[in-house]
Amino acid sequence: MKKIVIKNLKYKYPLTEDLALKDISFQIDEGEFIGVIGQNGAGKSTLCQALVGLVPHFYKGAYGGKVLIDNIEVGESDINTLSTKVGIVFQNPFTQVTGSKLTVYEEIAFGLENFGLPQNEMRNRIDYSLELLDIYKFKDRNPFALSGGQMQRMAIASIIAMKPEIIVLDEPTSQLDPQGSEEVFKAIQNLCREKITVIMVEHKIEKIAKYSDRVMILSNGQLIDFDVPEKIFSRDDLEDYGVTAPAFTRICRGLKIKNKDTGLYPITIDEAYDLVVNQNE
Amino acid sequence: MKTLSLYQDRDSIIHKVDPISKLYYIGAAVLIPIILPTVSISFTCMLISILILTLGKVFKKVIPLVSFSFIILLSIIIIQGLFNKTNKTVFISLGSLTFYKEGLSYAFKICMRVINIICAFSILILTTKPSDIIEVLVRNGLSPRIGYVLSSVLQIIPQMVSTMDTIKDAQRSRGMETEGSLLMRMKAFIPLIGPVVMNSLISTRERAMALEVRGFNSKVKKSFLNEEFGYKYSIAIKITIILLLALAVIWRIIT
Amino acid sequence: MSKKNMWSFKFTTASLVLIPAAVGINYIGKLIAASLKLPLWLDAIGTSLASILAGPIIGAISGAVNNIIYGLTADPVSFVYAISSMAIGVTVGVMAYKGWMDNIGKAIVTGLVVALVSAIVSTPINIGFWGGQTGNLWGDALFVYLTKSGFPTFIASFLDELVVDLPDKVATIVIAFLIFKGLPKKLTLLYNNNNEIEKL
Repeated sequence: MKKIVIKNLKYKYPLTEDLALKDISFQIDEGEFIGVIGQNGAGKSTLCQALVGLVPHFYKGAYGGKVLIDNIEVGESDINTLSTKVGIVFQNPFTQVTGSKLTVYEEIAFGLENFGLPQNEMRNRIDYSLELLDIYKFKDRNPFALSGGQMQRMAIASIIAMKPEIIVLDEPTSQLDPQGSEEVFKAIQNLCREKITVIMVEHKIEKIAKYSDRVMILSNGQLIDFDVPEKIFSRDDLEDYGVTAPAFTRICRGLKIKNKDTGLYPITIDEAYDLVVNQNE
Repeated sequence: MKTLSLYQDRDSIIHKVDPISKLYYIGAAVLIPIILPTVSISFTCMLISILILTLGKVFKKVIPLVSFSFIILLSIIIIQGLFNKTNKTVFISLGSLTFYKEGLSYAFKICMRVINIICAFSILILTTKPSDIIEVLVRNGLSPRIGYVLSSVLQIIPQMVSTMDTIKDAQRSRGMETEGSLLMRMKAFIPLIGPVVMNSLISTRERAMALEVRGFNSKVKKSFLNEEFGYKYSIAIKITIILLLALAVIWRIIT
Repeated sequence: MSKKNMWSFKFTTASLVLIPAAVGINYIGKLIAASLKLPLWLDAIGTSLASILAGPIIGAISGAVNNIIYGLTADPVSFVYAISSMAIGVTVGVMAYKGWMDNIGKAIVTGLVVALVSAIVSTPINIGFWGGQTGNLWGDALFVYLTKSGFPTFIASFLDELVVDLPDKVATIVIAFLIFKGLPKKLTLLYNNNNEIEKL
């Protein structure tokens, strides 16, 4: 059974003229890591929010088509039920801090308390999340006394503690400095090991190339392409969609160095290195 | 990060009393002087509050709280002493100003009432952490969502104030005048508060989304991470207070 | 919007999260007014905005939470005046709902009404607590003058409070109006409870 199935999804925010999402259809398997790229305003955030039910239940607006998470129809369900299956992390670390808790440990417990979990279970899950995100040493600190990267890892930990099978990351490092970004990507690598299905919107294209099993391009509310990274980044028309391919891919394209077997440009630095070094043979 | 609080951390017996008993006490300290409006009752209540504050080792900290109201109390003494409608008996004359006994006595009653109320509230405020007050209320039936609203105010305000300084500097560097005539200063108000409002409304939307995906509106009965704090003597205190209130009412009816 | 919706107790997450923001804006308004040395309190702008955006009930709760938190963390006397803050929230909410915040002229009228309501609600508290005074220099001077001239205490006290409230509340409401008009639609319709999901 496919983990996520989207059929003809259409959505329009209240008091707007144009559709934010126009007839989107795709499927995602369990355990896949999906990268989502495209210009600002392409509908990436809207799509993320459609996966967790914020679209349509938070914003209202006009909604059509079906989003099925493990066969639960998002449009007919509610945000609470869905939050046990799919979690979301947003761009801004500050606004994801509830503000009502005085330590990181208690902050992560917030969602668990809301679902009435027993204390033992809560502690197990919080300890697990703290370790996975490498923030155990901050567990007694005030949530507002963390750096951006630490705060964002706390946000991810808060969601992971709710044990969703799917996690959506909507530009998780946009508001972080380079060090904070690295910390978060390292944490995301840990997530991959746990076999969670991940959907990540990112502008740092090298990271998308590195982590994704498949990559989706959105433009103007429409799904342009959804394929393995090698095929996506070998497209000639990436610039039209506001996407810049990874640096080494562009270099190889410029030097016209392709992988002889696939006819595609390399997307990792190692592959690029091998091809460039060996091209004279 | 400082949270807003007047809580004083001390090892005292009053600190171990539960917040709801303290709320009962405040109720009694406010109501009994109203039911039995004599000077001796007010004075007794005040003494009891001071005693409790001393037991709680926080008596010294009440003084700044009372001094908040110091100027207005002083002005009340002066104004009532000079101008109260029922003034007849001269108490003291300073130059052309004559202070009367009736007015001064009325002012004195007011001062006692105010100090009484401040002391009673201070017992709660100085010996209990705001977060504990809220947690106890939620355990006892307050909607967890309202409990959230109250707890988050305590941390969100210092956050907003710290972003305020950045905005002030940014606006000043754009040539906004913050000194000068009244009109000039008034014109500076909106450019200073505008960004704060905008920021906080955007944050509000993002925070609301983040809360919703963490089960904020879950219909399940909430659980608590921490064990309930073992407060002492709760039932005994509450019963005593209710009895005293009942006594006061009966006394009033009899006399 | 039907009449029932103004008084609805169904709180959305967004309107609840608005309350701490409103209290913060109240606090910062007071800070800025003090630092600019303005002769006004301007400590109810947040409550007013919350009322305009989310209605009288959220406005009232914002007012109450404002005084409760201020009472717990700075000055216990604030607890006693929670009712005044709530009254301001309700008044602005109702007036805004009925269209009295649609242009600057109407906003000024709303300011006058709020000043009146605030004075009416605060006067019994002022009389019961402070014997009729308000602690404001000009207001109390008027109180003395009126008392000496033979006016009953409740009138002297009411006018004492009104003299303070009129400039302060009218300025507060006008400022809230100007800020509200400057807000993007995206932010304001979030608190509009009435949207339903349309089918496409």
